Amino acid sequence: MTRPRRLWAGAALLAALGAGGCSSGDGGQSAGKEGSGPTQTVRVQVSGEPEETQVYAALAQAYERRHRDVRIDLVEVASKGDHLARLSTSFAAGNPPDVFLVNYREYSQFVARGAVAAIGDLLAERDVDLSDYYEQPVAAFTYDGDLQCMPQNISSLVVYYNRGVFADAGVAEPADDWTWDDFVATARQLTDGDVRGAGIDASIIRLAPFVWSNGGDIVDDLEAPTRLTLAEPAAREAVQDVVDLVREGSVPTEEELAAQDLQTRFVTGKLGMLLSSRREVPPLREVEGLDFDVAPVPRRADPVTILHSDAYCLSAGGDAQGAAADFVAFATGEAGQRLTALSGRTVPSLRSVAESPAFLDPLRAPSRSQVFLDGIASMRRTPVVPVWPEVEDIVEEQMTRAFYDESDDLDAVLSEIDRRTRPVLARSTP
Amino acid sequence: MQVTRRRRPARAAAACALAVVLAGPVLLLLLGSLHRPGLPPPDGVDVWPGDPRWRNLRDSFSLVPLARQLLNSVLVVTVAVPVTVLVASLAGFAMVTAGRRTRVALVAVSLAALAVPAAALWVPHVVMLERLGLTDRTVVVALPALMGTSPFLVLLFALAYSRIPRSLLDAARLEGLTPLRIWRTVALPLTRPAAFAVAMLAFVFHWSNVVEPLLLLSREETWPVALGVRSLSTLEPTLYPLFLSGALVATVPPVLAFVLAQRALFRGTIGA
Repeated sequence: MTRPRRLWAGAALLAALGAGGCSSGDGGQSAGKEGSGPTQTVRVQVSGEPEETQVYAALAQAYERRHRDVRIDLVEVASKGDHLARLSTSFAAGNPPDVFLVNYREYSQFVARGAVAAIGDLLAERDVDLSDYYEQPVAAFTYDGDLQCMPQNISSLVVYYNRGVFADAGVAEPADDWTWDDFVATARQLTDGDVRGAGIDASIIRLAPFVWSNGGDIVDDLEAPTRLTLAEPAAREAVQDVVDLVREGSVPTEEELAAQDLQTRFVTGKLGMLLSSRREVPPLREVEGLDFDVAPVPRRADPVTILHSDAYCLSAGGDAQGAAADFVAFATGEAGQRLTALSGRTVPSLRSVAESPAFLDPLRAPSRSQVFLDGIASMRRTPVVPVWPEVEDIVEEQMTRAFYDESDDLDAVLSEIDRRTRPVLARSTP
Repeated sequence: MQVTRRRRPARAAAACALAVVLAGPVLLLLLGSLHRPGLPPPDGVDVWPGDPRWRNLRDSFSLVPLARQLLNSVLVVTVAVPVTVLVASLAGFAMVTAGRRTRVALVAVSLAALAVPAAALWVPHVVMLERLGLTDRTVVVALPALMGTSPFLVLLFALAYSRIPRSLLDAARLEGLTPLRIWRTVALPLTRPAAFAVAMLAFVFHWSNVVEPLLLLSREETWPVALGVRSLSTLEPTLYPLFLSGALVATVPPVLAFVLAQRALFRGTIGA
């Protein structure tokens, strides 16, 4: 079947699955009032490309079928920048969406502004048992002692690899317990002609697992960070090794990336390995003739990976908070998570769905999806403070220098990062 | 058509060459939209799709409600363009016929308004329309037309009117014509090209505006087509043919509008 048709078939399947079948765990309190039209509207804002947001449309439809008195108004915003701009403006204007989906590295700025209604108690009233969920994302969305938003997924950093590129180079596929040295050796073996071994972004969320695995840390205090600690010996060693790998030519150069980004190079067979989170899966599945799989982040000492998670937040002061909480309970419940897991986009935060074929289906790439679940035990995260997105921007800008500008020495870059992030972090600690 | 101009072949050739150069991107857009989606993106330039795929058009329409959004855009420009031309030309005429002091003050205010960054007005704009209960209706994004869309367009009209001999306007006033009548019967007919330019600029502005629809309209079915295309633009590179076919659809109406309006304009001017 050709691609777009498969896409529609998939969307139809999702909608059908959502419509029929299991009603467990939807936590709804307003079901069964058939015959009457919607009396309440819940506005839900999500971000993602059109293909991605179709999953949320299916979720909304499935919910509306069970709750005839509620209408879900889905606001689909394409890019993350637009999503945050629209959220900020609507909060300023006093008419925010009832529910919005946001990353754990970005939600605390909304909490700090008093824009989020803590969801913990509302979910408890709806018999949602948090012990059914993985604790890492729940902890990441707990701020000021309350569960602020309800996580829908527990993704993490993994290494995607293009089987075709590995086969052409005659290189063995990564083992489950591979090390940093294995990773470097593999990247070098794959690098040949215009093929590069590995692709990694110059961001702190990509570097952090290597730092942690080497016994280092990225901040001095996870709960109340005052400075980054990338310049300390264990951290610096891990970062230096990544920079060396980039500079020796096993990673695409800045010019090559300007022509084609990492994802494009990966699908066109010009990149053997790509470090990213679960979000790559739906688009990679759709590329004809691409054979790919995932492997864990290579370990230096201990295996470590980094949490990626999005959650549904309720806006403070919304007048449809009860109905909004019902919807979130459904979306993060058994039926809702099954729908989103089938799309391939998420690693479910609900244990029972994550361990089910809805997520682990061995017939759909990546066949080693278990890697995402195995990593959970050794998963760490970045601090949850409102200024964190600014810190990430500074690190990315500076690490880009370290990666691609040969004249910049790593120590100079790290001290510049330290100098510029200290005042930013100081703003978040009272 | 009785055109008495001499057509110089060199000039025609130059115009053709320029047209070919400018048509290049549109042609690439068309060819790009005919590739098969789902394939790895081509390495380098792969212009001719071996097996052109017209179905992309339909597929992009079902990914985003483009048909509905095209209608929305047509609605917006149908309201916004005439209103802009009317308001901007009246304001420009007032500016030119006012006394010297008032004129200077009005020009200064327009320039100051032009210097305000658009982003500074987003929140007040949203708050105001929210209070009035006007968000979520497509036509609200045409509201800036009520102030001539942009002070720049008002100034453009003012500039055009300032080139009409003052004595002509004075004579009309001595004939006992009201200012409104002078504007309609004397000034406006003399500034057709300016009106055409303003109409085109307003058309392009309203057709391609994405920020206000993004902030004011929440449902995809109420969006104008530019926002729909923006959302298609975030598709993965392997699905770019779908994005390009959406972009092609959004490009056709402005081109058509320009061609038709230009013909009407020249027929009018030459016949006059």
